[in-house]
Amino acid sequence: MTTTTAVSLRGVTKKYASVQAVAGVDLTIRAGEVVALLGPNGAGKSTTIEMLLGLVKPDNGTVQVYGGTPTDAIAQGQVGVMLQSGGIIEDAKVGELLDLVAGLHKNPMPVEEALERAGIADLTGRTMKALSGGQKQRVRFAMAIIPQPDLIVLDEPTTGMDVESRRDFWASMHEETARGRTVLFATHYLEEADSYADRVVLMRNGKVVADGTAAQIKASVSGRTIRATIPGADLAALASLPGVRNVETRGEVVLLQCADSDNTLRHLLENTTAHDIEVTSADLEDAVLAISAAQEESLA
Amino acid sequence: MNRNYLIFDIRRTLRNRRVLIFSILMPLVLFAIFGMTLPKDASEGGISAIAYVMVSMAMFGSMSAAMSSGGVIAAERDGGWNRTLRLTPLKPQAYVVNKVILSLLLAIPPLLVVFAFGMIFGHVHLNLGQWMTVALVSWLGALPFAAIGLVIGYIAKPDSVQPITGLSTMLIAAFGGLWLPVDQMPSIMKHIAQLTPAYWTGLTSRSALTQGGVDMQALLVVLGWTVVLGFIGLRRFRADTARA
Repeated sequence: MTTTTAVSLRGVTKKYASVQAVAGVDLTIRAGEVVALLGPNGAGKSTTIEMLLGLVKPDNGTVQVYGGTPTDAIAQGQVGVMLQSGGIIEDAKVGELLDLVAGLHKNPMPVEEALERAGIADLTGRTMKALSGGQKQRVRFAMAIIPQPDLIVLDEPTTGMDVESRRDFWASMHEETARGRTVLFATHYLEEADSYADRVVLMRNGKVVADGTAAQIKASVSGRTIRATIPGADLAALASLPGVRNVETRGEVVLLQCADSDNTLRHLLENTTAHDIEVTSADLEDAVLAISAAQEESLA
Repeated sequence: MNRNYLIFDIRRTLRNRRVLIFSILMPLVLFAIFGMTLPKDASEGGISAIAYVMVSMAMFGSMSAAMSSGGVIAAERDGGWNRTLRLTPLKPQAYVVNKVILSLLLAIPPLLVVFAFGMIFGHVHLNLGQWMTVALVSWLGALPFAAIGLVIGYIAKPDSVQPITGLSTMLIAAFGGLWLPVDQMPSIMKHIAQLTPAYWTGLTSRSALTQGGVDMQALLVVLGWTVVLGFIGLRRFRADTARA
């Protein structure tokens, strides 16, 4: 079991004009980990990744990749990157572009192998601008694995992909993680983080608000919200039901956040006049809010 | 310098017909119009008029080819390709060196084609030494235009780079006296011509055909232009790299 540190961010901040994009991030990624950087748009994920790659200089704090600067790690071919969009030459052919990228690295894998692994062996002769969004993402993926990197960094890799290409993409990605590569990917899909990462780092407003296994993160957001119209509801009684975390009212409408919505629902139907009942699961935004609220409480 | 990148750029440029048409076909057509119609015994500044026009047109072709690397740079700056490059071991300086070499390589075919055309169809007779000297000096004359390509590449947007390159090529060629000898124009035109690098590259190349040999003073001005334009290009490149 190796204990090499792949990535280390210490007290990293970045401000753009009046916007504090990243407000003090500490993050250590050990070799072999598959980490999801999860958060809503504007959470600071992309800026964090840009600083980690040396594309953006942090205002404060230190960034180390394999014990050196990001630029050194990249020069050594230790890092493979797949950015969100752009970053390709539209009038080049797929095969030409990959030959070029391979030629820029010290120890590249054969281009045929990269094409094969990215599932685009049949596209070599096609011009980039003739490809679909999902196909372009596969080319970017091939470009990321060509240097045979120890660390792969992906910034929202499945943006703009349909469900099927998303599934195919993660299947290819899975083969890479199975080879023991360290992976960091940004996403705003909780489901992706849950399915593919063994560690989830949750960001909001430029800070890390939670850091744990996917299961831990999921547990804290597994609740459901019940929305029901209950004339003359006994709020104290509802709040004391097992598994109910929070009760809110909007006129006659009651919102119940509960850990076990089935039981609460059974109680509502048997013992109250509740009607127009809706049950919704928490989305990521709710989860992030819930987790950051909990963190603020524990700090207070 | 990176060899793979150079091969990649050459293949891509050869697919771009506009560059080939502008840098090879245009000078040939102009040579046919202005050069082939001249009387056999006409001369200009001590060399035969047809050789004079041949050299000027070859210079025109090589300068437009050298400047076309600006289009490549502008296209690559757009759409985040240089971000991708920054995530590879390629050094930014190597990128610039590559583009300058690309410019110089693209400048060779127009020279060779126009000279061959002049030799075969224009009956321009030079000895081997003269051919070698004029070719080498003309090739050196592509240097300031490689630098202009660099500057344009870092200033222009991909959709404006073609018109900017096309227009500046024609203005520099016309006012620099590559299309019509400035001696046949009003004297004010000669003063204007001396402000363009093309005047000096033309002067240098044609001087290779005279008894006096290569005009070293003109060659020095050409190299001066290269240094100044190269400096501007590098500054633009630095600013752009810092931002990317």
